Amino acid sequence: MDFFWGISKKEKKEGGTRELLRCIPLFEQLTDRQLAAVERILHERLYAPGEEIFREGEPGVAVYFIQSGSVLIKMGRDKKVLAELHEGEFFGELALLDDSPRSASAIAGSESKIFAFSQPDLFAMIERNPRLGIQIVLSLARIIGDRLKRINEQLLELTKERA
Amino acid sequence: MPDGSHRYIKIFFFLLLLTAAGFFVYTIGEIVRLLIIAALLAYILDPIATGLESRGLNRLGATAIVFLGIGVALYMLASFVMPALVREIQNLQASGSMSQTSVIVSDLEKFINQKLVFLGMQEIDLAAKIEEAKRGVSEQLLGQLVTGVVPFVTQAVAIPFIIFFLLKDGRGMMKTLLSMVPNRYFEFSLNLIYKMDLHLGAYLRGQFLDALIFGILSTLAMWILNVKYFFFVGVFAGLANLIPYVGPLAGGALACVITVLTTGDLSRVLYVVLAFAGAKLVDDSIVQPLVVAKSVDMHPLVVLIVVIVGGQFFGIMGMLLSVPFAGFAKVVIEESGRMIRRYKLAL
Repeated sequence: MDFFWGISKKEKKEGGTRELLRCIPLFEQLTDRQLAAVERILHERLYAPGEEIFREGEPGVAVYFIQSGSVLIKMGRDKKVLAELHEGEFFGELALLDDSPRSASAIAGSESKIFAFSQPDLFAMIERNPRLGIQIVLSLARIIGDRLKRINEQLLELTKERA
Repeated sequence: MPDGSHRYIKIFFFLLLLTAAGFFVYTIGEIVRLLIIAALLAYILDPIATGLESRGLNRLGATAIVFLGIGVALYMLASFVMPALVREIQNLQASGSMSQTSVIVSDLEKFINQKLVFLGMQEIDLAAKIEEAKRGVSEQLLGQLVTGVVPFVTQAVAIPFIIFFLLKDGRGMMKTLLSMVPNRYFEFSLNLIYKMDLHLGAYLRGQFLDALIFGILSTLAMWILNVKYFFFVGVFAGLANLIPYVGPLAGGALACVITVLTTGDLSRVLYVVLAFAGAKLVDDSIVQPLVVAKSVDMHPLVVLIVVIVGGQFFGIMGMLLSVPFAGFAKVVIEESGRMIRRYKLAL
């Protein structure tokens, strides 16, 4: 039976995951108890250097949090590197909203331990624990709103420069 | 080796593996049957447990409350419904002398002998045949109820046990299975499981609810028409409704036969037929559009073949479960195909 019970025991022992979640803006407003609920539904994945986490154009279904290692975000046919992400950072959060195609690929830059939080798990959480689910969705909306504001500001600067 | 032949070898091994899996499943049929029944019931009960969770209970508490509810329902079934059902079957067996029925049957025999000589059925003894069939059916039903006690008790323990753990730990089990999936197929598997769960849950719960409502409607209609064994007919019609096309006809036919055998009045058959047609109309036009997911529609011929195959391998239970199981297989195949195309995965 350890096959089934093993996971929850292992998660309880690991303190690092909780600390990682606390640093993620998506969960920064959650209580310890709520963080434990999120921790229980995370999928732990291990990637070798150069291994694909997801591919550009494929439907997205999860957001990823880097526990250790690094991830390269690449785009286009020439696989131009847009960003290099490290421990404590996250990527692919738009997949929580819909399963539209990924706008870029994510590839492990080194040996990496990454946690996945999926859209189905978020929907199930909204159903089971609406208070917690809505808090996460609100945080997600705030993150996307902030990003939109930044893009608008950059666009304004660009327009001014051209004028 | 060229790519084409490599692919054929892969497909050949996949089919070989599928056949071996099928053979294995067939040889451990009883366990598989229990697992299928338990999984179907767990699927139907899952939203209730989730609903209780959303009211602040943990999963264990929610599962325990669902089981408490089932326990109460089973207790009521055992104390009120089962004795009534046994009594109705015993009455069906005992009802031997029905003068009106005998008159109808002998009239029918005369008609066949005089007008339908070309059929070569002069030696037919309809009354004896009906009596034989009636005794056969009721003895078989009672036999099932009596001799089936031991397997029933085994199932009564095993099925709830499996349901309990599937309800309580189903999510953990799924997470463990997903942890074994290679990284390349992780998002694909997550998406596939989610889509399958969405369609399948709606389909199975819809089928169950539809059968329940049709059973209640039929029971009520038969009770209003004062048909004897109305409860037995209603339960049968509800269960048979799980089998599309054939099921409702079987339920109606049973009600007609019982009406003729118990009253000997052929004119009452018309009311029974009208009542069943009305119940089916309500089911088709109001109940089904509301509760049954249309995404799992199957061709009538497929349904017929599936029911025959299910009956051949697993008896009556196989016939009843064959359609939901085929619905499950259809969802799995369709969603897998769609996902493979979206993720552009190579076989």
